[in-house]
Amino acid sequence: MPRTLSKLLITALFAAGLLLSLMTHGTGVITHDPERNIWIPDELTMPLRLQVAYNDEDILFRYRWPQDEPHLYLDVLRYSDGQWVRYGTSPVGPDPHGIYEDRVTMLVDDGSVPEFSRYGGYLTVGDGMRFFTNAATREEIAAHPVLGPERRSDIRKHLPATRSDPGDWRTLVDEDTLAAQRRAGYFLDLWHWRAHRSNPIDVSDDQFVAQYRFGDSGRGPYFTNWDGETRQPRLMFDPDAVGKHALRWEDVSHNIADFDGIYYLAEDFAVPFDPDHAWQEGDVIPRRVLREPAGSRGDIRVDGKGRFADGQWDVTLRRALDTGNPQEDKIMHDGGVYDVGIAVHRHGTGSRWHYVSMPYQVGLGRKAEIQATRFEGDSPDWDQIATYDITLFYPGQVNWPRLNSEIHAGAEYIRQGVPVKFRHNEAQLAQYGVEIEFEQEIRRQWFLTLLLGVALIISFVMSASLLLGRKEED
Amino acid sequence: MGPYHTMLIHFPIAFWVTATVIIIVRAVSDGWLAQAFDRVLVPFLFLGMLSGIGAYVLGMMVWPPDTLQTSPLGRNHMMAASWSLVYWTALMFMRWRVGPSIWDSTLNRVIMLLLGGLGGLLLVITATIGGHLAGSATYLTDLLRMIGWEVYATFYVPNWMLLVLVILIIAMPLVALMSRRTA
Repeated sequence: MPRTLSKLLITALFAAGLLLSLMTHGTGVITHDPERNIWIPDELTMPLRLQVAYNDEDILFRYRWPQDEPHLYLDVLRYSDGQWVRYGTSPVGPDPHGIYEDRVTMLVDDGSVPEFSRYGGYLTVGDGMRFFTNAATREEIAAHPVLGPERRSDIRKHLPATRSDPGDWRTLVDEDTLAAQRRAGYFLDLWHWRAHRSNPIDVSDDQFVAQYRFGDSGRGPYFTNWDGETRQPRLMFDPDAVGKHALRWEDVSHNIADFDGIYYLAEDFAVPFDPDHAWQEGDVIPRRVLREPAGSRGDIRVDGKGRFADGQWDVTLRRALDTGNPQEDKIMHDGGVYDVGIAVHRHGTGSRWHYVSMPYQVGLGRKAEIQATRFEGDSPDWDQIATYDITLFYPGQVNWPRLNSEIHAGAEYIRQGVPVKFRHNEAQLAQYGVEIEFEQEIRRQWFLTLLLGVALIISFVMSASLLLGRKEED
Repeated sequence: MGPYHTMLIHFPIAFWVTATVIIIVRAVSDGWLAQAFDRVLVPFLFLGMLSGIGAYVLGMMVWPPDTLQTSPLGRNHMMAASWSLVYWTALMFMRWRVGPSIWDSTLNRVIMLLLGGLGGLLLVITATIGGHLAGSATYLTDLLRMIGWEVYATFYVPNWMLLVLVILIIAMPLVALMSRRTA
């Protein structure tokens, strides 16, 4: 073979190896794996536009975010072959029929949980969380001396100091300690707006996170419409009020809903279920019934209407600065600075398949990352309210015990109190979140790539050495 | 060990950046300066290798192995550092083995120019990722992103590409040996 041709050939082979590696890197490992509770969203980050305003009495948060279409349905019972079959429960990833409501949630603190201002929602993700690959099982939870009798079926958001070992969900501290923590403000307020379970009646759920995710005291904005004994709904649509007994599966499964129409069941137009009605194949009755919330749980309302238009949701939540419930809500004052972490569920996903924000500080008349604008009267002129564009990201299966373990290079920084934003950005955290879900597979593939890269370099240089020193014979 | 790694890493970077400049100058010039540069190329590469090994070992001691190999940035830095060290060491071996005749033909010079450029690029990538790990990110990350490498994502290739690499690793010396035999 002519020497010049050989030189060109090995150079081309080496270059091809490098280019192909660059073009194909990062592929072949990451895939949806429902068996391990893994589903990776196509987009790892999303934008959210935030405005905050307050007057003497109330504070308002306005959230706007883009998505393809609104998802207004959730948890329905479909009449099929004489049975009422449940659809639209919290799935791994998006519901196959798109039957899962959009949501915006916001954790709020007043400085009583200092780590929250530095690490945001990561703080609430403990060991054994539901829908994680290593989620605690129902049997394990049922066997727990406290959570078992409380009839908990999963491990949800909780704060680290509610466990004697934050790396073990079982080590719940005693009741007196938990009560003392609550009195000291060691909990996070949780504003929880849902497109199906609260928005149609212009309210938001009001919850908090301590040793578990709880609803505030009082009456929630929905209840379950299912009779376990008869295996039928308890309520159905009042045909005299809304002109029908049920929704239709064709509409629900194709996500066809009209904000001004009926896509939910509420106490106001519900009547006892009639088993003798001539139910048709594909009739659908919502498994959740909306009702006016009361007590502390009904503190947060939708200001105006939460609507989807022109490719984006526009939701404004309103709450009294002082709700009078300091052990369930974070009371706010003019002149105060508060920490928030915002999350959005969209595209028909529930549970941990959400996008979350870094922690942000909101200042009421004080300088902060997000400045709440004071207004006079009942409603603000939103054109005059400062707007903040923030990025939300898919967090994957990163939990607080992991972040504080030796496996995390930044654990020492956490011990020193360095905020997450100092070393990480949203795109980075999203990428890390995904990679942790495939930790062993990626590590193996990376190591093989490293080794073969070394071998490729040695092979090329060795080959070139055989050729470069020779005079051209051709 | 982080600060010591940061301190020592200046030495291989200095030697290898200088080597890149020497290769570029020598590839385009036969002048006395270029020839003088070329005479110190192997010693520079040798010093780069020695200091590079030192910096590499210290870098491996900054975090426990599991910690380093669990972080995408850590993995990428370790990979780029391994490739840089091996690459420049191999280049040193090649220049030493072939001697000054490595600059004999235009094609040889073009190949050396490409190799020098690639070595410089590897160095930039390694240092950029190292900067991230040390908390000093630069805009070079955006350049890497433009050419298709997201430094926050672990660099790995799929199984079929590993197979392609194995074929290339075997094919290149075979081509070289066949060429020598038929000469």
